[in-house]
Amino acid sequence: MIQLFHVSKCYDRCVALDDVSFRIDKGECVILTGPSGAGKTTLLKVIFGAEIPDAGQILVQNRNIARLRGGAIPYLRRTMGIVLQNFQLLQKKTVYENVVLPLIIQGVKRREAWKRVLDVLKAVGMDHKQKICTGVLSAGEQQRICIARAIVTNPILLLADEPTGNLDPDLTVEIVELFKRIHAQGTTILLATHNRGVANQMQGRVVRLEAGQVVSDEGVTP
Amino acid sequence: MRALYLLREAVTNLRVNRGNVMIGIVTTSFTLVCFGLYLLLYLNVKDLTGTLQSDIEVVVYLDPGASEQVVALVQKRLRTEPAANALAFVSKEQALQEFSEQFPEESLLLDGMEDNPFPASIIVSLSPRFQDTEFLGAFAERVGSLPGVTHVAYSQNWIDTLALTVSYFELGAAMIGMILAVATVTIIANTVRLSLHTRKEEIELLRLIGATGTFIAIPYVIEGTILGAVGGGLSLALLKGMFEFFRMELEASAWFGGVEHMLPVFPGQVPWLLVVTGMLLGCGSSVLSVFGLMKVRN
Repeated sequence: MIQLFHVSKCYDRCVALDDVSFRIDKGECVILTGPSGAGKTTLLKVIFGAEIPDAGQILVQNRNIARLRGGAIPYLRRTMGIVLQNFQLLQKKTVYENVVLPLIIQGVKRREAWKRVLDVLKAVGMDHKQKICTGVLSAGEQQRICIARAIVTNPILLLADEPTGNLDPDLTVEIVELFKRIHAQGTTILLATHNRGVANQMQGRVVRLEAGQVVSDEGVTP
Repeated sequence: MRALYLLREAVTNLRVNRGNVMIGIVTTSFTLVCFGLYLLLYLNVKDLTGTLQSDIEVVVYLDPGASEQVVALVQKRLRTEPAANALAFVSKEQALQEFSEQFPEESLLLDGMEDNPFPASIIVSLSPRFQDTEFLGAFAERVGSLPGVTHVAYSQNWIDTLALTVSYFELGAAMIGMILAVATVTIIANTVRLSLHTRKEEIELLRLIGATGTFIAIPYVIEGTILGAVGGGLSLALLKGMFEFFRMELEASAWFGGVEHMLPVFPGQVPWLLVVTGMLLGCGSSVLSVFGLMKVRN
Protein backbone atom coordinates (compact mmCIF):
# COMPACT_ATOMS: atom_id res chain seq x y z
CA MET A 1 0.00 0.00 0.00
CA ILE A 2 2.78 2.46 0.95
CA GLN A 3 6.35 2.11 -0.21
CA LEU A 4 9.15 4.51 0.64
CA PHE A 5 12.43 4.27 -1.30
CA HIS A 6 15.42 6.22 0.07
CA VAL A 7 13.33 9.21 1.06
CA SER A 8 15.20 12.27 2.30
CA LYS A 9 13.95 15.66 3.36
CA CYS A 10 15.80 18.70 4.74
CA TYR A 11 14.49 21.98 6.13
CA ASP A 12 17.23 24.52 5.44
CA ARG A 13 20.22 22.60 6.78
CA CYS A 14 18.27 20.49 9.25
CA VAL A 15 17.83 16.87 8.17
CA ALA A 16 14.29 15.65 8.87
CA LEU A 17 14.39 12.39 6.92
CA ASP A 18 17.57 10.65 5.88
CA ASP A 19 17.38 7.81 3.35
CA VAL A 20 14.20 6.28 4.80
CA SER A 21 12.94 3.08 3.16
CA PHE A 22 10.17 0.77 4.28
CA ARG A 23 6.79 -0.52 3.16
CA ILE A 24 3.38 -0.84 4.72
CA ASP A 25 1.02 -3.50 3.41
CA LYS A 26 -2.73 -3.34 3.24
CA GLY A 27 -4.39 -3.95 6.61
CA GLU A 28 -1.20 -3.40 8.60
CA CYS A 29 -0.98 -1.31 11.75
CA VAL A 30 2.35 0.48 11.93
CA ILE A 31 3.42 2.53 14.91
CA LEU A 32 6.02 5.14 14.12
CA THR A 33 7.96 5.94 17.26
CA GLY A 34 10.91 8.03 18.18
CA PRO A 35 11.78 11.15 20.14
CA SER A 36 10.55 14.62 19.24
CA GLY A 37 12.34 15.86 16.12
CA ALA A 38 13.01 12.32 14.87
CA GLY A 39 11.08 13.01 11.63
CA LYS A 40 7.76 11.30 12.39
CA THR A 41 5.57 14.25 11.40
CA THR A 42 7.65 14.94 8.29
CA LEU A 43 7.24 11.31 7.25
CA LEU A 44 3.47 11.54 7.59
CA LYS A 45 3.47 14.86 5.72
CA VAL A 46 5.32 13.42 2.74
CA ILE A 47 2.87 10.53 2.67
CA PHE A 48 -0.20 12.77 2.54
CA GLY A 49 1.46 15.14 0.09
CA ALA A 50 1.95 18.19 2.31
CA GLU A 51 5.71 18.03 1.76
CA ILE A 52 7.72 17.06 -1.28
CA PRO A 53 10.78 14.91 -0.49
CA ASP A 54 14.18 16.19 -1.64
CA ALA A 55 15.13 12.69 -2.76
CA GLY A 56 13.57 9.25 -3.05
CA GLN A 57 10.20 7.91 -4.10
CA ILE A 58 6.96 7.45 -2.17
CA LEU A 59 4.34 5.19 -3.66
CA VAL A 60 0.88 5.34 -2.12
CA GLN A 61 -1.43 2.87 -3.84
CA ASN A 62 1.09 2.76 -6.68
CA ARG A 63 0.99 6.53 -7.18
CA ASN A 64 4.24 8.43 -6.84
CA ILE A 65 3.43 11.24 -4.41
CA ALA A 66 6.51 13.27 -5.24
CA ARG A 67 5.45 13.50 -8.85
CA LEU A 68 1.80 14.29 -8.23
CA ARG A 69 0.66 17.70 -9.43
CA GLY A 70 -0.77 20.06 -6.78
CA GLY A 71 -4.29 19.61 -8.16
CA ALA A 72 -4.14 15.83 -7.59
CA ILE A 73 -3.24 16.08 -3.89
CA PRO A 74 -6.81 16.71 -2.63
CA TYR A 75 -7.99 13.58 -4.43
CA LEU A 76 -5.16 11.57 -2.85
CA ARG A 77 -6.16 12.85 0.59
CA ARG A 78 -9.76 11.77 0.05
CA THR A 79 -8.53 8.17 0.13
CA MET A 80 -6.92 8.76 3.54
CA GLY A 81 -8.09 9.74 6.97
CA ILE A 82 -5.83 12.13 8.84
CA VAL A 83 -5.85 12.66 12.61
CA LEU A 84 -3.64 15.32 14.15
CA GLN A 85 -2.59 16.08 17.71
CA ASN A 86 -4.30 19.51 17.76
CA PHE A 87 -7.66 18.06 16.61
CA GLN A 88 -8.24 20.78 13.96
CA LEU A 89 -11.96 20.91 14.52
CA LEU A 90 -14.20 23.84 13.64
CA GLN A 91 -14.98 25.00 17.15
CA LYS A 92 -18.10 27.00 16.26
CA LYS A 93 -19.67 24.19 14.29
CA THR A 94 -21.54 21.22 15.71
CA VAL A 95 -20.20 17.69 15.96
CA TYR A 96 -22.38 16.69 13.00
CA GLU A 97 -21.19 19.63 10.87
CA ASN A 98 -17.56 18.76 11.55
CA VAL A 99 -17.90 15.09 10.75
CA VAL A 100 -20.02 15.58 7.63
CA LEU A 101 -17.49 17.99 6.06
CA PRO A 102 -15.38 15.38 4.18
CA LEU A 103 -18.60 13.92 2.75
CA ILE A 104 -19.74 17.35 1.53
CA ILE A 105 -16.36 17.82 -0.12
CA GLN A 106 -16.71 14.47 -1.85
CA GLY A 107 -20.24 15.31 -3.01
CA VAL A 108 -22.02 12.55 -1.07
CA LYS A 109 -25.80 12.99 -1.10
CA ARG A 110 -27.44 14.45 2.02
CA ARG A 111 -29.35 11.33 3.12
CA GLU A 112 -26.38 9.03 2.58
CA ALA A 113 -24.09 11.50 4.39
CA TRP A 114 -26.47 11.74 7.34
CA LYS A 115 -26.57 7.94 7.67
CA ARG A 116 -22.80 7.58 7.48
CA VAL A 117 -22.18 10.34 10.03
CA LEU A 118 -24.60 8.74 12.50
CA ASP A 119 -22.96 5.33 12.03
CA VAL A 120 -19.49 6.69 12.62
CA LEU A 121 -20.57 8.80 15.61
CA LYS A 122 -22.07 5.66 17.15
CA ALA A 123 -18.78 3.85 16.50
CA VAL A 124 -16.84 6.48 18.47
CA GLY A 125 -19.59 6.80 21.12
CA MET A 126 -20.49 10.40 20.29
CA ASP A 127 -23.88 10.04 18.59
CA HIS A 128 -25.68 11.66 21.53
CA LYS A 129 -23.68 14.87 21.10
CA GLN A 130 -24.09 15.44 17.39
CA LYS A 131 -25.83 18.81 17.81
CA ILE A 132 -23.30 20.24 20.26
CA CYS A 133 -20.57 22.66 19.20
CA THR A 134 -17.17 20.99 19.34
CA GLY A 135 -15.71 23.97 21.21
CA VAL A 136 -17.46 22.91 24.42
CA LEU A 137 -16.33 19.26 24.28
CA SER A 138 -13.51 17.77 26.37
CA ALA A 139 -10.14 16.96 24.78
CA GLY A 140 -10.94 13.26 24.61
CA GLU A 141 -14.30 13.91 23.00
CA GLN A 142 -12.74 16.30 20.50
CA GLN A 143 -10.19 13.67 19.53
CA ARG A 144 -12.94 11.12 19.04
CA ILE A 145 -14.76 13.57 16.75
CA CYS A 146 -11.53 14.08 14.87
CA ILE A 147 -11.20 10.31 14.41
CA ALA A 148 -14.85 10.07 13.36
CA ARG A 149 -14.23 12.74 10.71
CA ALA A 150 -11.18 10.82 9.50
CA ILE A 151 -13.00 7.53 9.09
CA VAL A 152 -16.40 8.75 7.86
CA THR A 153 -15.27 8.40 4.23
CA ASN A 154 -14.17 4.78 4.82
CA PRO A 155 -10.52 5.54 4.00
CA ILE A 156 -8.17 2.75 3.05
CA LEU A 157 -5.44 4.35 5.10
CA LEU A 158 -5.62 6.16 8.44
CA LEU A 159 -2.71 8.45 9.32
CA ALA A 160 -2.47 9.70 12.90
CA ASP A 161 0.12 12.14 14.20
CA GLU A 162 0.42 12.04 18.00
CA PRO A 163 -3.33 11.47 18.43
CA THR A 164 -2.95 11.12 22.19
CA GLY A 165 -0.42 13.91 22.64
CA ASN A 166 -2.93 16.24 24.31
CA LEU A 167 -4.76 13.60 26.33
CA ASP A 168 -4.44 12.32 29.88
CA PRO A 169 -3.57 8.59 30.43
CA ASP A 170 -7.21 7.44 30.81
CA LEU A 171 -8.30 9.18 27.64
CA THR A 172 -5.19 7.85 25.88
CA VAL A 173 -6.27 4.29 26.63
CA GLU A 174 -9.76 5.07 25.34
CA ILE A 175 -8.45 6.53 22.05
CA VAL A 176 -5.99 3.67 21.52
CA GLU A 177 -8.83 1.20 21.95
CA LEU A 178 -10.77 3.13 19.32
CA PHE A 179 -7.86 2.87 16.88
CA LYS A 180 -7.63 -0.86 17.57
CA ARG A 181 -11.31 -1.29 16.76
CA ILE A 182 -10.89 0.66 13.51
CA HIS A 183 -7.89 -1.48 12.58
CA ALA A 184 -9.84 -4.63 13.38
CA GLN A 185 -12.33 -3.59 10.69
CA GLY A 186 -9.56 -3.74 8.08
CA THR A 187 -8.29 -0.16 7.91
CA THR A 188 -4.55 0.26 7.40
CA ILE A 189 -3.14 2.49 10.14
CA LEU A 190 0.08 4.47 10.39
CA LEU A 191 0.25 6.08 13.81
CA ALA A 192 3.09 8.34 14.92
CA THR A 193 3.72 8.67 18.65
CA HIS A 194 6.56 9.31 21.03
CA ASN A 195 4.60 7.53 23.77
CA ARG A 196 5.98 4.02 24.33
CA GLY A 197 2.81 3.04 26.20
CA VAL A 198 0.68 3.77 23.15
CA ALA A 199 3.04 1.80 20.94
CA ASN A 200 2.87 -1.18 23.29
CA GLN A 201 -0.89 -0.97 23.67
CA MET A 202 -1.49 -0.84 19.89
CA GLN A 203 0.29 -4.20 19.46
CA GLY A 204 1.34 -3.40 15.90
CA ARG A 205 4.54 -3.27 13.94
CA VAL A 206 6.83 -0.65 15.45
CA VAL A 207 9.14 1.41 13.24
CA ARG A 208 11.53 3.58 15.21
CA LEU A 209 12.93 6.79 13.78
CA GLU A 210 15.89 8.68 15.18
CA ALA A 211 17.43 11.77 13.61
CA GLY A 212 15.48 11.09 10.42
CA GLN A 213 16.65 7.49 10.03
CA VAL A 214 14.87 4.17 10.58
CA VAL A 215 16.78 2.55 13.44
CA SER A 216 14.51 -0.40 14.03
CA ASP A 217 11.52 -2.10 12.42
CA GLU A 218 10.08 -4.84 14.59
CA GLY A 219 6.90 -6.82 15.04
CA VAL A 220 4.30 -7.49 12.42
CA THR A 221 0.59 -7.10 12.84
CA PRO A 222 -0.99 -10.55 13.13
CA MET B 1 -25.61 19.73 -0.40
CA ARG B 2 -22.32 21.16 -1.68
CA ALA B 3 -23.93 24.26 -3.22
CA LEU B 4 -25.87 24.95 -0.04
CA TYR B 5 -22.74 24.54 2.05
CA LEU B 6 -20.74 26.93 -0.16
CA LEU B 7 -23.48 29.57 -0.06
CA ARG B 8 -23.83 29.23 3.70
CA GLU B 9 -20.07 29.63 4.12
CA ALA B 10 -20.14 32.81 2.03
CA VAL B 11 -22.91 34.26 4.22
CA THR B 12 -20.98 33.21 7.33
CA ASN B 13 -17.90 35.01 5.99
CA LEU B 14 -19.95 38.17 5.50
CA ARG B 15 -21.46 37.87 8.99
CA VAL B 16 -18.20 37.11 10.78
CA ASN B 17 -16.33 40.03 9.16
CA ARG B 18 -19.21 42.50 9.53
CA GLY B 19 -16.97 45.50 10.20
CA ASN B 20 -14.67 44.95 7.25
CA VAL B 21 -17.57 44.06 5.01
CA MET B 22 -19.33 47.33 5.90
CA ILE B 23 -16.16 49.28 5.12
CA GLY B 24 -15.85 47.37 1.85
CA ILE B 25 -19.47 48.10 0.89
CA VAL B 26 -19.23 51.81 1.76
CA THR B 27 -15.97 52.35 -0.12
CA THR B 28 -17.18 50.32 -3.09
CA SER B 29 -20.40 52.33 -3.24
CA PHE B 30 -18.46 55.58 -2.92
CA THR B 31 -16.20 54.72 -5.85
CA LEU B 32 -19.19 53.52 -7.86
CA VAL B 33 -21.03 56.78 -7.06
CA CYS B 34 -18.05 58.74 -8.43
CA PHE B 35 -18.05 56.53 -11.50
CA GLY B 36 -21.84 56.82 -11.79
CA LEU B 37 -21.71 60.62 -11.57
CA TYR B 38 -19.21 60.76 -14.37
CA LEU B 39 -21.23 58.24 -16.34
CA LEU B 40 -24.39 60.32 -15.94
CA LEU B 41 -22.57 63.46 -17.00
CA TYR B 42 -21.13 61.68 -20.01
CA LEU B 43 -24.47 60.14 -21.02
CA ASN B 44 -26.23 63.48 -20.63
CA VAL B 45 -23.65 65.32 -22.73
CA LYS B 46 -23.84 62.58 -25.34
CA ASP B 47 -27.61 62.80 -25.30
CA LEU B 48 -27.47 66.57 -25.63
CA THR B 49 -24.97 66.26 -28.45
CA GLY B 50 -27.28 63.84 -30.22
CA THR B 51 -30.20 66.23 -29.84
CA LEU B 52 -28.22 69.16 -31.17
CA GLN B 53 -26.71 67.13 -33.97
CA SER B 54 -30.14 66.04 -35.13
CA ASP B 55 -30.93 69.72 -35.74
CA ILE B 56 -27.93 70.28 -37.99
CA GLU B 57 -28.88 71.56 -41.37
CA VAL B 58 -26.95 72.22 -44.54
CA VAL B 59 -27.87 75.38 -46.42
CA VAL B 60 -27.38 75.24 -50.19
CA TYR B 61 -27.27 78.81 -51.57
CA LEU B 62 -28.45 79.22 -55.14
CA ASP B 63 -27.16 81.49 -57.88
CA PRO B 64 -29.46 84.58 -58.11
CA GLY B 65 -29.49 84.12 -61.85
CA ALA B 66 -30.43 80.45 -61.76
CA SER B 67 -33.57 79.59 -63.72
CA GLU B 68 -36.46 77.65 -62.20
CA GLN B 69 -35.39 74.63 -64.20
CA VAL B 70 -31.89 74.70 -62.72
CA VAL B 71 -33.33 75.08 -59.18
CA ALA B 72 -35.64 72.13 -59.82
CA LEU B 73 -32.68 70.09 -61.04
CA VAL B 74 -30.70 70.91 -57.89
CA GLN B 75 -33.66 69.89 -55.73
CA LYS B 76 -34.06 66.69 -57.73
CA ARG B 77 -30.37 65.93 -57.32
CA LEU B 78 -30.53 66.58 -53.55
CA ARG B 79 -33.48 64.24 -53.16
CA THR B 80 -31.37 61.39 -54.52
CA GLU B 81 -28.83 61.90 -51.71
CA PRO B 82 -29.34 59.21 -49.03
CA ALA B 83 -28.27 61.69 -46.36
CA ALA B 84 -31.01 64.20 -47.17
CA ASN B 85 -33.89 63.70 -44.76
CA ALA B 86 -35.95 66.68 -45.83
CA LEU B 87 -35.60 69.65 -48.17
CA ALA B 88 -37.06 73.11 -47.72
CA PHE B 89 -36.84 75.75 -50.44
CA VAL B 90 -36.42 79.33 -49.18
CA SER B 91 -37.03 81.93 -51.86
CA LYS B 92 -35.31 85.33 -51.97
CA GLU B 93 -38.50 86.95 -50.66
CA GLN B 94 -38.85 84.49 -47.82
CA ALA B 95 -35.22 85.05 -46.85
CA LEU B 96 -35.73 88.82 -46.74
CA GLN B 97 -38.91 88.40 -44.69
CA GLU B 98 -37.21 86.09 -42.20
CA PHE B 99 -34.32 88.53 -41.82
CA SER B 100 -36.73 91.41 -41.23
CA GLU B 101 -38.58 89.41 -38.61
CA GLN B 102 -35.51 88.22 -36.81
CA PHE B 103 -33.56 91.49 -36.97
CA PRO B 104 -36.15 94.29 -37.23
CA GLU B 105 -33.66 97.09 -36.39
CA GLU B 106 -31.05 95.99 -38.91
CA SER B 107 -33.70 95.63 -41.63
CA LEU B 108 -33.70 99.43 -41.96
CA LEU B 109 -30.31 99.10 -43.60
CA LEU B 110 -31.96 97.32 -46.48
CA ASP B 111 -34.46 100.10 -47.13
CA GLY B 112 -32.11 101.99 -49.40
CA MET B 113 -31.37 99.00 -51.55
CA GLU B 114 -33.30 98.54 -54.72
CA ASP B 115 -32.74 94.79 -55.13
CA ASN B 116 -33.24 92.05 -52.58
CA PRO B 117 -29.66 91.05 -51.64
CA PHE B 118 -30.64 87.67 -50.17
CA PRO B 119 -30.12 84.62 -52.33
CA ALA B 120 -32.62 81.78 -52.57
CA SER B 121 -31.54 78.63 -50.76
CA ILE B 122 -32.43 75.05 -50.11
CA ILE B 123 -32.22 73.85 -46.48
CA VAL B 124 -31.27 70.18 -46.23
CA SER B 125 -32.02 68.33 -42.99
CA LEU B 126 -29.61 65.44 -42.66
CA SER B 127 -30.52 62.04 -41.34
CA PRO B 128 -28.62 61.29 -38.05
CA ARG B 129 -26.51 58.55 -39.66
CA PHE B 130 -24.80 61.06 -41.95
CA GLN B 131 -23.84 63.78 -39.52
CA ASP B 132 -20.17 63.10 -39.02
CA THR B 133 -17.70 65.76 -39.99
CA GLU B 134 -16.01 63.74 -42.68
CA PHE B 135 -19.26 63.02 -44.48
CA LEU B 136 -20.46 66.61 -44.20
CA GLY B 137 -17.28 67.88 -45.86
CA ALA B 138 -17.65 65.48 -48.77
CA PHE B 139 -21.36 66.23 -49.05
CA ALA B 140 -20.79 70.00 -49.16
CA GLU B 141 -18.09 69.60 -51.80
CA ARG B 142 -20.32 67.40 -53.94
CA VAL B 143 -23.37 69.66 -53.69
CA GLY B 144 -21.28 72.82 -54.12
CA SER B 145 -20.13 71.65 -57.55
CA LEU B 146 -23.69 71.37 -58.89
CA PRO B 147 -24.68 73.96 -61.51
CA GLY B 148 -26.73 76.81 -60.01
CA VAL B 149 -25.20 76.41 -56.52
CA THR B 150 -22.96 79.26 -55.29
CA HIS B 151 -21.90 77.77 -51.98
CA VAL B 152 -22.89 75.38 -49.21
CA ALA B 153 -22.89 76.32 -45.51
CA TYR B 154 -22.98 74.12 -42.41
CA SER B 155 -21.76 74.36 -38.82
CA GLN B 156 -18.38 72.70 -39.24
CA ASN B 157 -16.84 74.20 -36.08
CA TRP B 158 -19.87 73.44 -33.94
CA ILE B 159 -19.92 69.83 -35.07
CA ASP B 160 -16.16 69.49 -34.57
CA THR B 161 -16.37 70.91 -31.04
CA LEU B 162 -19.19 68.58 -30.11
CA ALA B 163 -17.39 65.55 -31.49
CA LEU B 164 -14.22 66.56 -29.66
CA THR B 165 -16.10 67.08 -26.37
CA VAL B 166 -17.69 63.67 -26.59
CA SER B 167 -14.37 62.01 -27.40
CA TYR B 168 -12.73 63.80 -24.40
CA PHE B 169 -15.54 62.53 -22.21
CA GLU B 170 -15.04 59.01 -23.50
CA LEU B 171 -11.32 59.20 -22.80
CA GLY B 172 -11.97 60.67 -19.35
CA ALA B 173 -14.58 58.01 -18.62
CA ALA B 174 -12.13 55.28 -19.55
CA MET B 175 -9.37 56.75 -17.35
CA ILE B 176 -11.56 57.54 -14.35
CA GLY B 177 -13.32 54.20 -14.71
CA MET B 178 -9.99 52.41 -14.69
CA ILE B 179 -8.69 54.27 -11.64
CA LEU B 180 -11.92 53.68 -9.71
CA ALA B 181 -12.01 50.04 -10.80
CA VAL B 182 -8.48 49.53 -9.47
CA ALA B 183 -9.48 51.23 -6.19
CA THR B 184 -12.58 49.06 -5.83
CA VAL B 185 -10.70 45.88 -6.69
CA THR B 186 -8.05 46.74 -4.07
CA ILE B 187 -10.67 47.42 -1.39
CA ILE B 188 -12.71 44.27 -2.02
CA ALA B 189 -9.58 42.15 -2.43
CA ASN B 190 -8.34 43.36 0.96
CA THR B 191 -11.68 42.56 2.58
CA VAL B 192 -11.59 39.05 1.12
CA ARG B 193 -7.94 38.63 2.13
CA LEU B 194 -8.84 39.57 5.67
CA SER B 195 -11.62 37.01 5.53
CA LEU B 196 -9.11 34.42 4.34
CA HIS B 197 -6.75 35.35 7.14
CA THR B 198 -9.38 35.02 9.86
CA ARG B 199 -10.33 31.57 8.55
CA LYS B 200 -6.76 30.39 7.98
CA GLU B 201 -7.08 27.39 10.28
CA GLU B 202 -10.33 26.34 8.67
CA ILE B 203 -8.71 26.51 5.23
CA GLU B 204 -5.84 24.33 6.46
CA LEU B 205 -8.36 21.82 7.75
CA LEU B 206 -10.30 21.80 4.50
CA ARG B 207 -7.08 21.09 2.61
CA LEU B 208 -6.26 18.29 5.00
CA ILE B 209 -9.54 16.52 4.35
CA GLY B 210 -9.29 16.71 0.58
CA ALA B 211 -10.94 19.99 -0.43
CA THR B 212 -9.72 21.35 -3.74
CA GLY B 213 -8.56 24.95 -4.09
CA THR B 214 -11.69 25.75 -6.07
CA PHE B 215 -13.96 24.34 -3.35
CA ILE B 216 -12.20 26.47 -0.73
CA ALA B 217 -12.22 29.56 -2.96
CA ILE B 218 -15.88 29.56 -4.04
CA PRO B 219 -17.36 30.98 -0.77
CA TYR B 220 -14.87 33.87 -0.93
CA VAL B 221 -15.73 34.58 -4.57
CA ILE B 222 -19.44 34.56 -3.64
CA GLU B 223 -18.61 36.86 -0.72
CA GLY B 224 -16.83 39.35 -3.00
CA THR B 225 -19.62 39.22 -5.56
CA ILE B 226 -22.30 39.88 -2.92
CA LEU B 227 -20.18 42.70 -1.49
CA GLY B 228 -19.80 44.25 -4.95
CA ALA B 229 -23.51 43.88 -5.73
CA VAL B 230 -24.55 45.48 -2.42
CA GLY B 231 -22.01 48.27 -3.01
CA GLY B 232 -23.43 48.75 -6.51
CA GLY B 233 -27.00 48.82 -5.17
CA LEU B 234 -26.10 51.35 -2.49
CA SER B 235 -24.30 53.55 -5.01
CA LEU B 236 -27.37 53.38 -7.23
CA ALA B 237 -29.62 54.53 -4.37
CA LEU B 238 -27.24 57.39 -3.55
CA LEU B 239 -26.90 58.42 -7.17
CA LYS B 240 -30.65 58.33 -7.78
CA GLY B 241 -31.20 60.43 -4.65
CA MET B 242 -28.59 62.97 -5.72
CA PHE B 243 -29.99 63.03 -9.24
CA GLU B 244 -33.57 63.68 -8.09
CA PHE B 245 -32.35 66.40 -5.73
CA PHE B 246 -30.41 68.05 -8.56
CA ARG B 247 -33.39 67.81 -10.89
CA MET B 248 -35.71 69.38 -8.32
CA GLU B 249 -33.25 72.20 -7.69
CA LEU B 250 -32.91 72.76 -11.42
CA GLU B 251 -36.65 72.89 -11.95
CA ALA B 252 -37.01 75.30 -9.06
CA SER B 253 -34.47 77.70 -10.55
CA ALA B 254 -36.41 80.17 -12.66
CA TRP B 255 -33.39 81.24 -14.67
CA PHE B 256 -32.90 77.69 -15.87
CA GLY B 257 -36.41 77.68 -17.31
CA GLY B 258 -36.65 75.49 -20.37
CA VAL B 259 -33.18 74.00 -20.00
CA GLU B 260 -34.17 71.39 -17.40
CA HIS B 261 -35.94 69.36 -20.06
CA MET B 262 -32.72 69.22 -22.04
CA LEU B 263 -30.25 68.33 -19.32
CA PRO B 264 -30.93 65.71 -16.69
CA VAL B 265 -31.76 62.22 -17.84
CA PHE B 266 -31.17 59.03 -15.85
CA PRO B 267 -30.77 56.39 -18.57
CA GLY B 268 -32.29 52.99 -17.87
CA GLN B 269 -28.98 51.18 -18.34
CA VAL B 270 -27.28 53.03 -15.44
CA PRO B 271 -28.82 50.94 -12.60
CA TRP B 272 -27.88 47.67 -14.28
CA LEU B 273 -24.47 48.97 -15.21
CA LEU B 274 -23.68 49.99 -11.62
CA VAL B 275 -24.88 46.76 -10.01
CA VAL B 276 -23.30 44.53 -12.66
CA THR B 277 -20.06 46.54 -12.51
CA GLY B 278 -20.07 46.17 -8.72
CA MET B 279 -20.63 42.42 -9.01
CA LEU B 280 -17.95 41.98 -11.64
CA LEU B 281 -15.45 44.04 -9.66
CA GLY B 282 -16.30 42.09 -6.49
CA CYS B 283 -16.04 38.75 -8.23
CA GLY B 284 -12.81 39.71 -10.02
CA SER B 285 -11.11 41.01 -6.90
CA SER B 286 -12.04 37.91 -4.87
CA VAL B 287 -10.70 35.68 -7.62
CA LEU B 288 -7.45 37.66 -7.46
CA SER B 289 -7.33 37.23 -3.67
CA VAL B 290 -8.00 33.52 -3.62
CA PHE B 291 -5.98 32.71 -6.73
CA GLY B 292 -3.12 31.44 -4.55
CA LEU B 293 -5.43 28.88 -2.95
CA MET B 294 -5.77 27.06 -6.24
CA LYS B 295 -2.07 26.39 -6.45
CA VAL B 296 -0.86 25.79 -2.90
CA ARG B 297 0.09 22.16 -2.26
CA ASN B 298 0.03 21.71 1.53
